[in-house]
Amino acid sequence: MPRRQLLLRLQLLSNPLVLCGVRGVVSPLAGAMGFGEEDCHKITLALDEAITNVIRHAYGGKLEGPIEIQFHKLNGADTAKPGLEITLIDRGAKARPDSLKGLPPGELRSGGLGLHFMRQSMDAVVHTRVGSTNRLRMVKFIH
Amino acid sequence: MQISARHLENTTIFDVTGDIDLANSPAVRKAFLSEIREKKIPRVIVNLLAVKYIDSSGIASLVEGLKASRDLKARFILFGLSKSAREVLQLSRLLKLFEIYENEEQALSAESV
Repeated sequence: MPRRQLLLRLQLLSNPLVLCGVRGVVSPLAGAMGFGEEDCHKITLALDEAITNVIRHAYGGKLEGPIEIQFHKLNGADTAKPGLEITLIDRGAKARPDSLKGLPPGELRSGGLGLHFMRQSMDAVVHTRVGSTNRLRMVKFIH
Repeated sequence: MQISARHLENTTIFDVTGDIDLANSPAVRKAFLSEIREKKIPRVIVNLLAVKYIDSSGIASLVEGLKASRDLKARFILFGLSKSAREVLQLSRLLKLFEIYENEEQALSAESV
């Protein structure tokens, strides 16, 4: 059995209207993989926030930027735990290093919560720049 | 998402239905700020009973409403939070900053805190 298995690949445009469609896909997918209701919500929130960040920051609100989302099942071979790996790939602007730090929650401020939500919801959140693409890899293990 | 307003004496109640995300949070924010800043309504109540999902952009709209209310010494009250909406507010560590009630009756009868 391969350690990592592609389940689904989505091609989207950077239009906020796609968010509800993606939520409608990821939550049942996570549920079918064995995640509980609370984790399904966390995974859905993290992916929603990740796409929102791409739309707002990488594409600056432009509605037609391409976004690819890959869902891989992690099979838990060897010592690794089983889980779900989600990779977002966009061709937008390179993220500024300070924008990847996130802002502390708990303050009455209307921005900066998305990255905090992603990190609180997932077991791993890693941003990389590969050529002209931003890649965000998020992993949630089945506990 | 749909948002509609009911007007009582010195109070506006917003009934919000559906998910609040980046696609519609600007409309939610605009509706709140219109009542608070332009119409100077002293008490705005937001009915979230029919909101099953809210993300950071939705939370940001609620924060904008709360900040604008505080600036004008008005009240900004939430009621009917779903489990997931409450979890997201908890995750933001902003839950305690809002005046939150279980239902509309409690929200209407609550004294200013």
